[in-house]
Amino acid sequence: MTLRTLRALTAAFFLCFAALVTWPGYVPFNRVEPLILGLPFSMAWIALWVVLSAVALYLLDRAEQRKRED
Amino acid sequence: MASWHLITAIIILYLGLTLGIGLAAGRRTSKSVTGYVAGDRAFGLLVMYFITGATVFSAFAFLGGPGWAYSRGAAAFYILSYGVLGVAPWYFIGPKAAELGRRRGYVTQAQLLVGRFPSRFLSALIAVLTLLAFVPYITLQMRGAGIVIEAVTDGHISLPVGAALAYGIVVVYVLISGVAAVGWTNTFQGIFMLVIAWCLGLYLPHVLYGGVGPMFERIAAERPELLTAPGLTATGDAWTWGGYSTSILVSAIGIQMWPHLFMKAFAARDDRIIRQTVILFPTFQLFLIPVFLIGFAGVLFPETPPNADFILPFLILRTDLPALVVGLFCAGALSASMSTGDALLHASASVAVEDGVRPFRPLGDRGQRLLMRILVLAMGVVAYYFALDEDQSLVVLLLTAYGIIAQLAPPVVAGLYWRRATTPGILLGLLAGSATVFFFFFLDHLRPLDLHEGILGLLVHVPVLVIVSLLTPPQEATHSRCFVDLEPLQAGGSGEEMSA
Repeated sequence: MTLRTLRALTAAFFLCFAALVTWPGYVPFNRVEPLILGLPFSMAWIALWVVLSAVALYLLDRAEQRKRED
Repeated sequence: MASWHLITAIIILYLGLTLGIGLAAGRRTSKSVTGYVAGDRAFGLLVMYFITGATVFSAFAFLGGPGWAYSRGAAAFYILSYGVLGVAPWYFIGPKAAELGRRRGYVTQAQLLVGRFPSRFLSALIAVLTLLAFVPYITLQMRGAGIVIEAVTDGHISLPVGAALAYGIVVVYVLISGVAAVGWTNTFQGIFMLVIAWCLGLYLPHVLYGGVGPMFERIAAERPELLTAPGLTATGDAWTWGGYSTSILVSAIGIQMWPHLFMKAFAARDDRIIRQTVILFPTFQLFLIPVFLIGFAGVLFPETPPNADFILPFLILRTDLPALVVGLFCAGALSASMSTGDALLHASASVAVEDGVRPFRPLGDRGQRLLMRILVLAMGVVAYYFALDEDQSLVVLLLTAYGIIAQLAPPVVAGLYWRRATTPGILLGLLAGSATVFFFFFLDHLRPLDLHEGILGLLVHVPVLVIVSLLTPPQEATHSRCFVDLEPLQAGGSGEEMSA
């Protein structure tokens, strides 16, 4: 995968994040049950995206870093 | 009242330690403006991480967060949603701004913008907007410190005295040491806060309900409306989706535009550190979870605090925690307030002098540092004045400030990524956007769909910026390429700062 594609994918990831935690994308996930690790689903859903963001940024950075070292 | 004395002793010890770290940090930087404002561009990863983190973990999060979760339920989730969204683009923008800062000697974001769009009026306009946004933000932090001290000492030290005490110390180390003090005290206070937040966030649900899951099951049974977005308004009615969603958007767009965050791109030792800070940012964001747990723990508590923002100290004083723990908590919450407040005071003085005064009146290095120090004091006094008579919620104070600060995003993005942007386009866009924000701030019943006034401002701002830019003659290609394509600066190139 080229760096360009990866950057586009990362941008797409964050646009999905934004769309799925605001109206209307958030609506289907905005519910109490099932509790995840004791948290309401509506809250765990957002926390999940925060965690995934760290992974996405890490993957992007690894590729960017390799490119800079070339 | 022996426990009250113990708590006070712990607080004094803690404040003294903070002061010591702040003063010691300043001894290592040079006595220049770059030293005072940008720490000689030598901040490492640990310090940068906590400077960024401290902004998430301010009095806003520590007291406002639980206050919102307690009184408005899932409305508070917006706070969890926006941070990472707003910081992620900084992976690219931050290093680019830093590179231009090194090449051209910028230490504030207005200098960067005025470098691309030469206009002293633009510089002054940015300074004024920034200071307007900073006042409610600093006020919030001071009130936070006062609330904690008043609640925990059982009224022995009132809010005004507590706020004055905590901020007296902040002013002293910011005056003497500049940004180096901010960096190192934030690191110390950041570590402290994280530990306290997780301990309390897990302890309170456990002791009151027998665990996090059982707590939410009971809330779901008795107050289900609190657990799904958009939650409630301050008066207990249902909040609107328009208000909730645009609060996320305006905060995401605005967060990196805060000068105390933006300017740290100029304080970082190298680009690698800026990028790593962005990657690690989500780890800080997750600390909002225990903060919300604290607020939710108060929902079914039989007594009610005098004000939702008091819920955290209120609960702590009623769950039979030992005085030592209460004292440590108090110190943690003070950290939250002070670690953000110091960065804000420092940044506001830097912006006022660098962008508001210097383009109009040349100042020597010494004169500049002196004026910044006077302004740190002045901003402190102004914010303190508002902190005394104010019964707005802490979160509302910050949301208001975000509407203004988000207007700096279009000029920054256009300045670094759009060759065709022109100075008139930027100026008129900024004026139109800010005017819209103020209009809907004062006439908030006119806002369509309850959209945040900052978003309405951007809806006016961006088209004006684009259309006016396209209607005016483009900048010289050699000039705009220096910023957009990072082409090397040419000797005698156009657009150098006018005061140089």
